Amino acid sequence: MPTNVCTAKASYKKAPGTLELTDTHLQWSQDGKKVPSVRVPYHEATSLFCSKEGAAQVRLKLGLVNDDNGHNFTFTAPQAVAYSERETFKRELTNIISRNRSTADSNANPAAAPPPIVAALSASPSKAPTPRPAVAVASASRASTSRAPSVSSDRRTPILPGTDAASDFRLRKKVLMGNPELASLHRELVMSGQITEAEFWEGREHLLLAESATESQRKGRPGQLVDPRPQTVEGGEIKIVITPQLVHDIFEEFPVVAKAYNDNVPNKLSEADFWKRYFQSKLFNAHRASIRSSAAQHVVKEDPIFDKYLEKDDDELEPRRARDEVADLFINLGATLEDHGETGNQRDITMQPGRQRGALPLIRKFNEHSERLLNSALGDKPPAKRRRVGGGDGGNDAYGQLDLDDLHDPETSVGIILEMQDRQRYFEGQMASAAAVEDARKKAFDVRPIFKEARDSLVSWEYNLNQLKLERKPGDAALLSMTQNVASRLDVKSKKNEMPPDLFIQLTTCQTAANEFLRQFWSAIYPPSTETQTIAPATPAQKATKAAKMAGYLGKTHEKVDALVRTAQVEGVDSIRVQVAMKPILDAVDHALAFYHTRSAKPTKGIN
Amino acid sequence: MEKASHLSVILDLSPTQWHLSAQSSNQYPLSIHSFLSQLLAFLNAHIASKHENTLAVFGAFPGKSVMLYSSTDPVADDVPPADANSYSSFKVVDFTIVRSIMNEFDALGNLDEEPPCALVGALTKALCCKSISAHFHSPNAVEDPAVLPDPRILILSVSPDLSTSYIPIMNSIFSAQKLKVTIDVCKVYGPDAVFLQQAAHLTGGSYIFLERRDALLQYLTMSFLSPPALRQVLAVPKQDKIDFRAACFCHKNIVDVGFVCSVCLSSNHILFYVVKLWFTYMCTVFCQPVPVCSTCR
Repeated sequence: MPTNVCTAKASYKKAPGTLELTDTHLQWSQDGKKVPSVRVPYHEATSLFCSKEGAAQVRLKLGLVNDDNGHNFTFTAPQAVAYSERETFKRELTNIISRNRSTADSNANPAAAPPPIVAALSASPSKAPTPRPAVAVASASRASTSRAPSVSSDRRTPILPGTDAASDFRLRKKVLMGNPELASLHRELVMSGQITEAEFWEGREHLLLAESATESQRKGRPGQLVDPRPQTVEGGEIKIVITPQLVHDIFEEFPVVAKAYNDNVPNKLSEADFWKRYFQSKLFNAHRASIRSSAAQHVVKEDPIFDKYLEKDDDELEPRRARDEVADLFINLGATLEDHGETGNQRDITMQPGRQRGALPLIRKFNEHSERLLNSALGDKPPAKRRRVGGGDGGNDAYGQLDLDDLHDPETSVGIILEMQDRQRYFEGQMASAAAVEDARKKAFDVRPIFKEARDSLVSWEYNLNQLKLERKPGDAALLSMTQNVASRLDVKSKKNEMPPDLFIQLTTCQTAANEFLRQFWSAIYPPSTETQTIAPATPAQKATKAAKMAGYLGKTHEKVDALVRTAQVEGVDSIRVQVAMKPILDAVDHALAFYHTRSAKPTKGIN
Repeated sequence: MEKASHLSVILDLSPTQWHLSAQSSNQYPLSIHSFLSQLLAFLNAHIASKHENTLAVFGAFPGKSVMLYSSTDPVADDVPPADANSYSSFKVVDFTIVRSIMNEFDALGNLDEEPPCALVGALTKALCCKSISAHFHSPNAVEDPAVLPDPRILILSVSPDLSTSYIPIMNSIFSAQKLKVTIDVCKVYGPDAVFLQQAAHLTGGSYIFLERRDALLQYLTMSFLSPPALRQVLAVPKQDKIDFRAACFCHKNIVDVGFVCSVCLSSNHILFYVVKLWFTYMCTVFCQPVPVCSTCR
């Protein structure tokens, strides 16, 4: 029997019950029932949200591994009690989640930032309501949501279909969800037991592969600059919502703040005080991502702690942080300086960065940010690989850079020659068949008299032309048939498709099902394509059974169509139209069946 | 006001087929001389319907294709003088065409057997003739008054499909599409021609299978006299269904299920990239799965 860590009265989906935290699970059971209806193992918990302090209801939301919606619990005890209960749960769960995170991260992706618990803190210049770290505010976290998806960790390696049953199933489900037509076909055939799951997916592996490839793609870092937007609340107060994500971003973007944090928290300042003062300091204003900040400068106060960390504005001619890479030889203006001695050109002094000095720090900040983004995208590859062209090493590369594509003559392209092997066979094949036709013809007729006859019949052409007279009867018949042709087309054009929707759906289903059977049938008949990855190519015996099975299904298509025709008659639809609509599929089915019968009649001659 | 148009007519003149067509065992026998009379009447109608209309006639003889008449060529000297019974323009056309046909038939007299009909040659010549090929250089802006809009080709076919000519016919169709030429087909005798059906379908022309062959002129005037621009208003008969099957490249058989090499599909695709086609026509088609593709090895 697992021991209880803590318990509380809580309702779930509006039903009252008891929330318990045992040493392995978080579980909730409805009042009066013994078996818990919600049971969450520890390792599935990924995130935790709490309602705002002072809200009417005391809620707690737990996010799960494969389910962002998670579970919502509302503590039903009187408010004061409920708070303390929730705090207990929160403390415990936070520990559990952070433990989950650390294991997950060490398993998969050490680079990805651990998605911290979304928490919020109010910092207002005048009155600070007892801010604590990790007080979650579920509602007012706009700033946090925009960045939160960035930390989606990808701990799934691409799974080939068939390797892992669970993931394979998940992939299939996803494919079906994304493709309603396929899903309905699946419902129609697999769920009714006509063909097996494996058969259905055979030949559709590419869909699964594509899905798993899409899944395993990792989202890069968002390119947004870290710029906490203050929200103005009433009375000129400014409120900035801090999330752990934001803190992480700030530390990464401005290392000096991290340094200040390490120096001062928690000895000299509490965490809340730290942030409060930071957002009022000159340091923060220096870090703002726009010149807008100058407008807010009058509210900035002197701050003995943060002012220590202030750096000089980065608005000198040379950036404070010099680029460490060797500049490209063809861009570096100084590279050929030595070639122009006394006689050379004057130094180009017009090329100075930033017309307005105040903009310089901002420009450089943008550049640094972009550089950081690019670096994070490159990952930790060695710097040598990062440069597309290795600048410094040898003349070959320099020449390679000089050799621009545009300088090449485009006319010299040779085109694509259609080279046929066996050209001989191609032409011989022509001649052989022509010869066969000729032989047959020669046997049938003696051509010489025919030539003569043709020639002679033309001699009196003028007389014939003068005597040309069209008989009325055939002319009328021709006119009638052609008019009918035109009229029937007009008829089709002007008539609407008045098939009742029910019947139409039935027709479509019958059609898609028969198509699927045909697909299965032919794929069992012909050798597998080499393009797609198949899990295990079916043996000839398996294929034969499958073909037989499919042929059996195909044989029933006629019955099904007949049934549909009868339904159409009942519904008052012209049954001929149904027959016409189903004719192509019936033709295809008949063709397949005929092929199957001739093939099975002489089993020795297989294509495989 | 309707614009002038150009018409190229391709006559399938295989003596054997015409001999078969004239036999009285057919339901509606049609002999070559009766065919020619009705055709000449139709051609005269085309010339008469608009003064600027131009005409070119090509003959597909056994093993040879010849241009029989072109309205842009200078009139030959030996045309007999006009008589009171005929309009001289008509007479020139009729005389030139029939005389050329007779010359070619004379030349045939020495052969022991009949080679297959050079329909592809005639089709290619028709596409290359100046009135049509001028569209290649300026398909949209026709400044040259000698070049008429909406050129079309009418094929009067009696021979059965020659599966060896599948590829050249397809290539002709693509050129015709590119030149915005309409190909009309009238199947005068013999079974339905799969390739010509496709030709008519792909170029937006109509394919007519002659049911009452004794009323040829009726079909010709009703279906093929109106230029394509006019056919949008004037409904003309068309074929109901088209056989889209291709011929395999190895035995030239018409196949139901074709196999395509997955490797050279791409290269052939580039080859034919200029013309808009669909899958079957882009690739080498085999009738059996082959281990080594003959196109790309």
